[in-house]
Amino acid sequence: MSVAEIPEATRAPLASGVSAVGVSRRFGTVHAVEHMDFDAPSGHVTALIGPNGAGKTTLLLMLASLLQPDSGTITVDGLDPAVDTAAVRRRLGWMPDTLGVWESLTAREILVQMARFYRLPKAGIDARVAELLALVRLEELAGQPARVLSKGQQQRLSLARALVHDPSVLLLDEPAAGLDPGSRVELRTLLRNLAAAGKAVVVSSHVLSELDEIADGAVFVNRGRTVKHQTVEDAAKQGRRYAITALDPAALAAKLTEMGLEFLPGTGRRPSVSLMLNHDDGAAALLRELVTSGIAVVSFGPASGALEETYMNLDTERK
Amino acid sequence: MSKAAETLPGPAPVPGQAPGRGAVAGYLGGIRDVVVLELKQRLRSRGWYIMLAVWLVLIALVTAITWAGWNAAMESRAVMPVPDGMPEPQGPGSAIFEVVLAFVLLFALLVAPALSANAVNGDRAGGTLAILQVTLLTPGQILWGKFCAAWLVAIAFLAASTPFLVFAVLLGGLSAGHILVSLLMLVVEVAVICAIGVGISALAGRPLFSIVVTYLAVAALVVGSLIAFGLGVQLTRGTVLANQPVYPSMEFGPGSAPGPFNPEYTCEGPLVEQEAFHTERVAWLLAMNPYVVVADAIPYPERTAPVYYYSGGMIENISQGARSAIAGPDGTYTCANGQVQPQYLGQSTPLWPLGLTLQVALAGLLLWLGWRSLVTPARHLAVGTRIA
Repeated sequence: MSVAEIPEATRAPLASGVSAVGVSRRFGTVHAVEHMDFDAPSGHVTALIGPNGAGKTTLLLMLASLLQPDSGTITVDGLDPAVDTAAVRRRLGWMPDTLGVWESLTAREILVQMARFYRLPKAGIDARVAELLALVRLEELAGQPARVLSKGQQQRLSLARALVHDPSVLLLDEPAAGLDPGSRVELRTLLRNLAAAGKAVVVSSHVLSELDEIADGAVFVNRGRTVKHQTVEDAAKQGRRYAITALDPAALAAKLTEMGLEFLPGTGRRPSVSLMLNHDDGAAALLRELVTSGIAVVSFGPASGALEETYMNLDTERK
Repeated sequence: MSKAAETLPGPAPVPGQAPGRGAVAGYLGGIRDVVVLELKQRLRSRGWYIMLAVWLVLIALVTAITWAGWNAAMESRAVMPVPDGMPEPQGPGSAIFEVVLAFVLLFALLVAPALSANAVNGDRAGGTLAILQVTLLTPGQILWGKFCAAWLVAIAFLAASTPFLVFAVLLGGLSAGHILVSLLMLVVEVAVICAIGVGISALAGRPLFSIVVTYLAVAALVVGSLIAFGLGVQLTRGTVLANQPVYPSMEFGPGSAPGPFNPEYTCEGPLVEQEAFHTERVAWLLAMNPYVVVADAIPYPERTAPVYYYSGGMIENISQGARSAIAGPDGTYTCANGQVQPQYLGQSTPLWPLGLTLQVALAGLLLWLGWRSLVTPARHLAVGTRIA
């Protein structure tokens, strides 16, 4: 997108990302979202994390200009979706959590239709669609009706659909659901590249270990409220749980006790222990100490992702 | 922006900036895109082709049986004396045309809800409606696109029945104008039903519910309007000032000279109040009936023969019945206000514009309510619906 293509009237601070301040929305008596704050700056991947029913999808629907908040303000690249709806939609790419595809249309036709709905210049549509099909590796299936695609393939098609008009803000609701490991890696690379290209990328997901690799920051929500804003760097600094296994668990336990460290028996299949370490330096020091004192350490690593650690510590209201 | 981003086409100019015709063309272009999507999505399911085949077979059967019935009637007629003054049979064309037309309208009324009544909430259930709403399409474009797609498919069904209507005309007695006017009215009637269906589908949460409601709406127009009219007439009991008709001595039946057609009686004596039903007060109910609208719009020749012998076709009878209802006792009661009443209502007072206006008003109201439910960002959602 170039600035010249956008009329003066709707020109806004380009690519400032998407944010919500004090947003509330209720359905009947259910308060789906209550006074939520959210900020996803451009150039970053922001994770939206929370348990089922926390209000993630409702928030994304409001950010996607589909739902009007009862109160609070939403801005997309500095524009209000309720006022400059068309200008906002031109900048928004939305991938819903429900897999809605037009089953009788082929993958290519779906993308062509979407390009037309976004009023892309007709001359460029074919090239753009081919580019997207290549991006999500659906070239060979481009002529197949969408109903014969597998769930993961439909998911990739859905992602291509959200990207068709080259939006500056991407809202992805559970994009990794149903993807095989290879596709997940590709998705991760793709999202990092999009963020590097200056787009604001919002990803909601439950798969936290994955978000560690993708996200720059995370917003934790629960029961319709924003619980925590955190960058992944901060999450890593807050300390995380490490799992250690040794050939002789008893010797390991004795050594840790001798060092005065609190530890828990592990929950995994193999006999292991886990303990909280505040920073990576401490982890390196502990490992060195264990090895030099003759403990046969088999594995030593983070038991959970940095974001998962935060998530699990947010047991304030979790049931 | 990165180099990769620069190679992308990027968004087109903001809509609404282009003045005048550009904006209109953009709006219509959006509707066309939705129609293309809908047709691709619908026409590729084999069910519709099977339904179209069933439709063709049914209408062919109806045409064949009506033709055979007419031929049988002609054979029995040939051996029986025909009373003088009886109009010559018009040929089978008229009868077949009327029966086929009635069936085509019936089938069209039955098919149109199936085509339209899940257009919006079917997409909502499938999760594809929000995909459209989040694009630059406006609620109006989505709604009109879905309406036009349903209408086009309904028109395809009508087109499939055209050969049989043409066949009826070729058998004689009718003009090409009959075909044109009746097809035009059929097209308009299915448009009304499609609009009602699309409107209801935007309002109702579940496809099954909206389809049932749309069928009920069709039943209300076809049967309910008659029942409501019949019941409503009971409430219009009133009086009309009239005096006594005096008939000249005149023999009817074979051998009677065909006298002057109108008037064949005179009104004499003082005006007294007579009981009558003011049908004109509830005739609008009758006017909403699709059969009345179609029958009343189709031209039929002015009668010149005495009315006692006259037996017009079904279309003509429906039209005359409805027109006498709207004329009320002042226009139909014998010697009302001391005036000789024409027993045959002229064609200068058509009823169908009233009926069609009411139907379009109903369809328009439903479409408007449906449009409101498609506006995003949505403020109110119907209970139990999700936007995506």
